Amino acid sequence: MNNKVRVFRSMRGLTQEQLAEQLEVSRQTVIAIESSRYLPSLPLAFKLAKLFNCRIEELFFTNGSSK
Amino acid sequence: MNLKKYKQVRVAVALFVAATVSTAVTNNNRLLAVTGVLVGMLFMIIARSKTKIRIDEREKAVREKAAQYTYAIFAPTVGLASFLLFTFGRDHLYLVALGQVLAYLTLFLISLYALSYYYFNQKYGGRVDE
Repeated sequence: MNNKVRVFRSMRGLTQEQLAEQLEVSRQTVIAIESSRYLPSLPLAFKLAKLFNCRIEELFFTNGSSK
Repeated sequence: MNLKKYKQVRVAVALFVAATVSTAVTNNNRLLAVTGVLVGMLFMIIARSKTKIRIDEREKAVREKAAQYTYAIFAPTVGLASFLLFTFGRDHLYLVALGQVLAYLTLFLISLYALSYYYFNQKYGGRVDE
């Protein structure tokens, strides 16, 4: 499972700390999600999608389904 | 108070409690030991209330995994130790007694695990009759 959280975050000019603050998680969690070492829960994935104003599938995808 | 400051306070309180309790033990002063521990607890409660400690879902997942591994390692180890003490410590009463304590500890651990498993299984929709 991969994701484009880092890309979306950079596009919005947010730091990892700022994103963590908005998601109410720790910075370590943002780092772990961005490096695909941790899969977020469904509520957190929805929160991310809402924050970046995109669909979850655009943010998270399996290795063969990258857009 | 930020998390870094909180961690510093926690270390300071731990050092204070350790120093107080060791002094109390040296002087055989129970009141000092109890007072030291209570003051330490009070400081920690105040520090905690003034700190925004964030425990997010990843932290929870890490804790769950750590608890799972601890149980998976600790229960068989203590069980095996108890068995070995029973088997090879027959001639020494205290070894058999220790083996008995460890055996009960293992049983307690397994019972606790079974109970909490049952509770969480029910909580997260483990009922089959619905």
